[in-house]
Amino acid sequence: MALPAGRLASVCGLVLTLPGCNYGDTGYIEIKTTSAAAPPALYLDSDKLAQVRGGVSVLRERVGERKLQADLESGKVPLCTIVVKKNRITTVTISQLDRSPRCNCVRDGTPADKPSERTCIS
Amino acid sequence: MGSSILISGWRRLHIVAIAVLPALVIMPLSPPALAKDSGAAAEATGEDEFSRQLRELKKTFGDIGKQIEDTTKTLDTLKAPEQARKGLEDLREHVSKLLGAVADNGDVSRLGISALNHANEKLKALERDTRFKPEQKQILVAGWRDLKAATERAIGELDSARKEFVDLLRTLQTSEDYIDELLQIRQHEKALEVIQQLTEHIRQASKKLNELLGAKPPGA
Repeated sequence: MALPAGRLASVCGLVLTLPGCNYGDTGYIEIKTTSAAAPPALYLDSDKLAQVRGGVSVLRERVGERKLQADLESGKVPLCTIVVKKNRITTVTISQLDRSPRCNCVRDGTPADKPSERTCIS
Repeated sequence: MGSSILISGWRRLHIVAIAVLPALVIMPLSPPALAKDSGAAAEATGEDEFSRQLRELKKTFGDIGKQIEDTTKTLDTLKAPEQARKGLEDLREHVSKLLGAVADNGDVSRLGISALNHANEKLKALERDTRFKPEQKQILVAGWRDLKAATERAIGELDSARKEFVDLLRTLQTSEDYIDELLQIRQHEKALEVIQQLTEHIRQASKKLNELLGAKPPGA
C-alpha cells in the first residue's frame, strides 16, 4: 500500500526540512489492469500496492515521480515511471502479454533520448 | 456567457457534493446489539470507525461544497476565457479534494474493506460456534449479514463516487490543457465554446452521480 497523504503528514511533521515533504501538494495515480489472469504484485517505489479491485485503483500520492514495479518470479521488474502533478490524475494501464506486464500510458512522456524508460504523465 | 454556464454546472456539482453520501451515513453500521452484549464490543471498533469516517466524509463534502459555492460566486463576475481558465484550476482543486476523500489508499476506503473482511470473518466464526442456541445463532447471523450487506452497499457507493470524481477531474484537466493550447493561438471564442461543452459534461456527470447514489439534496 502506498503511503497515504495523511501518514505523509505525520512523517514529514517530524522532519520538515526533508526535500519532497511538501505533502500539501498531491495528485492521483489511476492504475488499470486489463488481463483476465491475476496481475502480479505491484510496487510504487518500495510500497506494495493493495490488490487492484475491479480492475481499477485510484491512489492519492504526493507530487513527484514514482517508479512502478512488478514482482515477478525473477524479482522486482521496473515497469515505468509515473509523474504525479498537483491536482491532476495520471492514468496507467497494466497489460500482460506473454506473461510480461507492461505500462501503457494515456499520455506518454517518455524522454526521446531514453526510449526504454517509459514515463507516464498527466 | 461561458463562465455563467460554467457556474451553473458547478452549482449542481456543489449540490451533488453535499448530497453524495448521506445514504452511507444513515446505514446501520453499528453491529448487532447481541454481538456487543456477548463481549464482542472490542471487535466492533472497525465498523464504528468506518461509520465515523463516513460521517466525517459527509462533513468534508459539505465544506468543499461551500468552497465550490464561493468559487462560483467569484466566477459570476468573470467574462474572459483567461479568467475562466483560472476558475477551472480552482475547481480542479475542489474536485481533487473530493477524490482524495474516496481514494483507494484513503482511510475511508481501507476501513470499508477492513469492516467487510471483519463481517465475513464473524459469519464464518459463527458457523463454527457451538455456544449459542439455534435461535440465538440465527439472530446473530442475520445481524452480521445485514451489516455485511450495508457495508457492501457503502463500498459500492464509494466506488461509484470515486469513478465519477475521476472522470470529472480528468475532463477538467484535459479541457484546461485544450483551453491553454487555444489561448496560445488566440482562439478565445473557441476556448469559451470548450468551457460551455465542459459544463454540459459536468451537468450530465452530476445527474449520473445523483442517480447512482440515489441521494437527494438536503431539503429536496
